[in-house]
Amino acid sequence: MERESSASGRQSRVLPLGHTCLLNAFGVFCCLALGVVLSSCSSPPPAPSETAPEEVNALPSRYVLVFVIHGDGGYLYHNTDGKKYRADEETLISAKLVAERNSQAEVFIYHEKRKRHFLFLFPRHDGEFYYYRNGQLLAQESYWRDQGQSRFDPEIELYNRFRAEELSQSKRFFLYFGHEIPEIDGKGYDASYKDRPFIIHGLVDGLKHFTPDSTKFDLIVLSTCFNGTPHTISALSPYARYIIASPGNLHLSYFDLQPFEALDIGLRDENVSAFAKECARQSFERLTKDIQTEITVAVYDVDRVQSFLNSVDSVYDHTLTTLKDKPSKSIEHCDCADDSAYLQPMMSDGIDVFFRPARFGRSKHKQDHSGWECLRLLK
Amino acid sequence: MLGKTAIRLTVMIFVMSLAGIAQGQDKIQNYFKDAAGKVKETTDPTQKREILNNSFEKMTKALNTVQGSPLVSKDDKAGMEHFKVVLKEKQDELAGLNGFERVPDAQLNDFADYVVQDMEQATETVTLSLVALLLIILIAVLI
Repeated sequence: MERESSASGRQSRVLPLGHTCLLNAFGVFCCLALGVVLSSCSSPPPAPSETAPEEVNALPSRYVLVFVIHGDGGYLYHNTDGKKYRADEETLISAKLVAERNSQAEVFIYHEKRKRHFLFLFPRHDGEFYYYRNGQLLAQESYWRDQGQSRFDPEIELYNRFRAEELSQSKRFFLYFGHEIPEIDGKGYDASYKDRPFIIHGLVDGLKHFTPDSTKFDLIVLSTCFNGTPHTISALSPYARYIIASPGNLHLSYFDLQPFEALDIGLRDENVSAFAKECARQSFERLTKDIQTEITVAVYDVDRVQSFLNSVDSVYDHTLTTLKDKPSKSIEHCDCADDSAYLQPMMSDGIDVFFRPARFGRSKHKQDHSGWECLRLLK
Repeated sequence: MLGKTAIRLTVMIFVMSLAGIAQGQDKIQNYFKDAAGKVKETTDPTQKREILNNSFEKMTKALNTVQGSPLVSKDDKAGMEHFKVVLKEKQDELAGLNGFERVPDAQLNDFADYVVQDMEQATETVTLSLVALLLIILIAVLI
């Protein structure tokens, strides 16, 4: 069965798709073109929509995973053979594999895409949503981003519409893939919405709504550059038990999703801490094979890093206030351990760091990384 | 030959102005990826160094030319200055200047990959306007 709701501005499909068309090639092209034009021209969608998945198996899932994949920017990278990849598209493939291979998981995948036009005139949807349960794709919808007050309003509306009842002991994961989420300014994060800022508190606003009843995510993965900072980890603390993030540059091939493909095995003893460390270790090992730039992967035990966060909170906030009006070109990242203001005895409590310096460049002899990244004015 | 290049450039500019800034960043990344490909194709370390050095010099010249253009903004000029600093560091490391250890012959292929990967990360952080990106690519191709 295939159902389209162009009146609401969304292209919705409740699967399976068994639709066949006996038109000739020209006819098919015309139908498609007309369909795209009609659906694309429609105004942004009012919520809620009527596309609740009737076929959904209502059994609660042992795992809930929310993937947000940002693709509205420069995400091209090359492997060492010179082959081109788009980071967001590669991640989407991996996320779908995770969803298909976990027979007891509820998986939400949001692919935030660049805004495009059909025939240079008609705007096309810039978000794609996939909903899986128990290894099966139950729904796929195209949606409009940049709606509402908060950045994640459209995603949250879809989440609330589709989510099923959770077991109290369900393990919950939130995974974000994209460029560094800024702590100040944030304009230009989206290539399609340059004037709309996105900073870490925008993500926090979204997380509030992805965590009903104040249930924390067991693990938040930030597959981004430079987000292993005291400010970011502190901002995410109310919503996570463990966080994996990179305090340094992270190559666009991102963290590995392979451990998430078999959650029953990875979490057989329910030990999220061990699972997070294994994920970080695997990502680190894979990245070190081909990447020549710095690799830093850190796992933060949110409860155990609180004393360090509390002790440096005001210093970091002061730095952010000072840097707020400075041009971004005059600000640089540094290991917090290189700044005496952050050197605290408990700096390494609750944090596991996998680090290898860049194989070339000024920092190639750097021995270790505290796991905390800070900002400072360029000397 | 010149006609062919002109047609290619016109098509490139047209496509890029439709596709936007990310496409322009892609072209800059491709420029370094192509240089890395050429480095790996040759076994002669002198040639490898020459290819890398030429790629840095051509790009720096293009940046200098575009920086002097009235078409680009003050922000673009600052972004390009940062880009030039990054390139100069690579060039110095290749030759072992300004406190850098010279990149050993046996590591030139890895260094070429390092340049590609570091530039992919640099183009994420250095935001340039479409006009600036177009001019840089245009001039880097013509030089």
